[in-house]
Amino acid sequence: MTHSSLLGDLIDLTEALETDSAINLEQRKQRDRQIGQGLQQYRHRPAVQIRTWLHDLNHPRVGNQGAQGVRVYHLICLALIVTGLISGWVLASAVLFYDGNQPINIVNALVVLVLPQMLLLLFWLMAALPWRLPLLNSIRQSFSLLNPGRLAGQLAGLFSGSDGRGLDQLWHSDHAAILYPSARWLFSFWSQLFAVSFNLGILASAFYLVSSSDLAFVWSTTLNISSEAFHHYLNILSTPWAGFLPEAVPGAELVAKSRYYRLEEGSLAAAREIPQLAVELGQWWPFLIAAVSFYGLLPRLLTMTVSWFRFRHHLRQALCNFPGAPELLARMNSPLVSTHAAEPESLLKMPQGDIARNTAKDWALRSPIIDWSGTAHDVKDVSSVLSGLGIEPLDHLYAGGRQTTEQDQELVLGLCRRKPEGVGILVKAWEPPMLDFLDFVKSLRRQCGQKMPIIILLWGGEQGGAITDRDTWQLTLGQLSDPDLHIEPIGPGL
Amino acid sequence: MTVPIFAIVGHPNKGKSSIVSTLSEDESVAISPIPGTTMENRHYPMAVDGEVIYELIDTPGFQRARAALEWMRRHARSAVDRAEIVRRFVEEHQADPAFVAECQLLTPILEGAGILYVVDGSRPFGEDYEAEMEILRWTGQPSLALINMIGESDYSGEWQKALGQYFRIVRVFDALEADFDRRVQLLLAFGEIREEWRGALKKAVHILREERARRQALSARVMAEMLAGMISHVRSSRLAPGTDINEVRAAQLQAYKQDLMVMERRCRDEVEQIYNHSNLERQEPLVQLLDEDLFSNQTWVLFGLTRKQLIATGALGGAAAGGVIDLAVHGASLLLGSGLGAVAGGVSAWLTSDRIANVKVLGHPLGGEEISVGPMRNINFPYVVLGRALLHQQIVAERTHAYRGPIEINPQLSTWQVSDAGMRRRFEKLFSRLRKQDGYREDTVSLLAELIEDQIRVPKLFESPSEP
Repeated sequence: MTHSSLLGDLIDLTEALETDSAINLEQRKQRDRQIGQGLQQYRHRPAVQIRTWLHDLNHPRVGNQGAQGVRVYHLICLALIVTGLISGWVLASAVLFYDGNQPINIVNALVVLVLPQMLLLLFWLMAALPWRLPLLNSIRQSFSLLNPGRLAGQLAGLFSGSDGRGLDQLWHSDHAAILYPSARWLFSFWSQLFAVSFNLGILASAFYLVSSSDLAFVWSTTLNISSEAFHHYLNILSTPWAGFLPEAVPGAELVAKSRYYRLEEGSLAAAREIPQLAVELGQWWPFLIAAVSFYGLLPRLLTMTVSWFRFRHHLRQALCNFPGAPELLARMNSPLVSTHAAEPESLLKMPQGDIARNTAKDWALRSPIIDWSGTAHDVKDVSSVLSGLGIEPLDHLYAGGRQTTEQDQELVLGLCRRKPEGVGILVKAWEPPMLDFLDFVKSLRRQCGQKMPIIILLWGGEQGGAITDRDTWQLTLGQLSDPDLHIEPIGPGL
Repeated sequence: MTVPIFAIVGHPNKGKSSIVSTLSEDESVAISPIPGTTMENRHYPMAVDGEVIYELIDTPGFQRARAALEWMRRHARSAVDRAEIVRRFVEEHQADPAFVAECQLLTPILEGAGILYVVDGSRPFGEDYEAEMEILRWTGQPSLALINMIGESDYSGEWQKALGQYFRIVRVFDALEADFDRRVQLLLAFGEIREEWRGALKKAVHILREERARRQALSARVMAEMLAGMISHVRSSRLAPGTDINEVRAAQLQAYKQDLMVMERRCRDEVEQIYNHSNLERQEPLVQLLDEDLFSNQTWVLFGLTRKQLIATGALGGAAAGGVIDLAVHGASLLLGSGLGAVAGGVSAWLTSDRIANVKVLGHPLGGEEISVGPMRNINFPYVVLGRALLHQQIVAERTHAYRGPIEINPQLSTWQVSDAGMRRRFEKLFSRLRKQDGYREDTVSLLAELIEDQIRVPKLFESPSEP
């Protein structure tokens, strides 16, 4: 089990698989099965198998890109946290600005600090839908321009090197079909991280202003809404925390006292004269803090957590689906079936020789013909061909095949005693010359002496021979290095 | 259970090695035109995670069978001790260079290996085979004769009569053309020569069938990955100021074609390796892009945004900044802050975009003119590429390892079409998803692989593949 970063491993995997593909598949099968057999307890957790394989492999070229990508990722997270905190702080400071003249309209504060966030949350939910509707998709794309996560992604591209192997390969590569879901949730995580920081910035600013200044909250609207109705709406808005934070739910009396009319200055005029009322007007802050927390921070914490887990889920999916990864898993988890040779081929090195081929030569010989191993059912079959070569068959003798080696020796002795002008041996072109035959030829040469032509008559049979057969005979007889050993193909094809 | 071992014996150059090569899927088996070059046995165990299921032994061909048989006949007293005589022959001639081949090939048989006697059925029977068949009969080991059809002529009838006198089981097998089912049938036939080997051979066949299914799935996966890569591939490059756009466009297009070619070639290599073929020579025309003008695109970008998007972003950013002012004055500005902010943001984005685009951060230009080629929009392109890949896969899967010629892939001869309308819709849905580069899911390639695997499993998907 590995404890390194899932994101770093995915980045490294792309390079590891590419490097690995240069290795012979048979070698990879053996290596990966060996690793896989030690990981059978993780058979149903393929991402763990792949990550462990990656670390076991420990390829020298792999590792830097992943670590670099993770560094960029952390850097961007940090940048988003800082930016979010500052943005939230600045916005809250602007909204909650009070110099003693113009009180803070709680409606205004809610509209700025809570309402847009809820709307954006709605867009997030639309974007998070697993299916795509054309209209939603257009809206999503339009708002993606304001998505801090996406903008952070563009920024990440600048730190990812020029070879497209860093963090940005999640959204800039030919493997986008597999990697992009991870990128999508990474952008989502980044934007939610920004939003959480933004809300924390608001809350921190609010706490700071509440603790360091005297804030006066009122509510004011041109709409014809009574204090009772407004209180009713506030109660509905406060439902999530009313049970355990009753002090953060504005009472009817506070609502009534906090209504502000510009002409009369409403409650504010009284507050200047009654200190107790001034204190009460400041009591809206728990409600505001609770509203930001419950409608801003907490949903964003939830969406950030969801994004984080979805991001990790898709990283794991991408690890298991990246080109080459399913093949790797198959190698690790499938039995290694081998049918190959257990040892390398060892071939005997034959001495190189050459043998003349006297095509269409007029031998002008009267020669006995030895039929080797029943080549022709009737030697008359080849008589006309022999005549064409200028060979007049004297005797028709038989060797090889059903003859014993002793009978062959007797034949050789008897033949050589007659000192023939030459000897023709009729052989089947399609049967390669074996040592048995070479023994016979050598014996013939030994007994009949040098210079006597021995003519190997290659017969191709009824269908004719093949050039490859002739080559085999030439190469094999060439090993004897006998200048008076000749090959004469007879019949078509040779 | 004993491990079945089979010694493949016979005349030299009569297809022993091609049978071994086909059954063991090993193309390293040397096929030499000179008889007698193989003087040592070579072992081909079929092993699953190291456990040997059965073993083939490629042996040297008989070289002096007559002389060996004569020796045996001289020393045999009765038919009872023939196997013992063969053993004595081997023992006494181990160091004799005249009988190296005979001793090598007889050793595993005397140790209990079954005999697979191989002859060439395209050539007539000859009496010179009788000595070696007789020696094999003397060993008393279970045996099977294989008539290997090397050439076009057919003398299998003649051979069956001759072999039938020496061997109880005779099978005809074409080592060059045998498809998977024929190979499996042959393995099962090996089990007929000894009852106790049947279990192991059935197990071997079961494993081979599973392995075949795995190879089909892996090939489909590799092909799906290639398709996804080829369809969604985009090649982009930034235009330096003053560059001839047409030149860049032509270069980009050429590079794009090269990229596709590399992807296709890599897929071919991988499929061949899956089927234990390596270094195959391929003869295949290059893939046609079908419609080259449709996918060359020129855009202006900054931070990955087009100019319009950038202006919109600037305007929205300005509006947001102005909105803070509006809020600070409690709306007294009548949203003038937002309006002016939007205008200022949009105009400044428009005016400064070129200058910002030329700024380099960490060596990267922030933006500028970009030429991009791809992704491939032509709806027929994936089908053409997939058809070629399927044809190649079928040829490779059916090709035996004894066949050493080049692979000829001529898609003109065999066309592939998805006959089932539902299947075609499923293909189109996935291709469309890849083309649009939207709605990505990690399983897109897996789903595509499943569809391709279904196609691979269609028997005789191409009726006339040009191989071999």
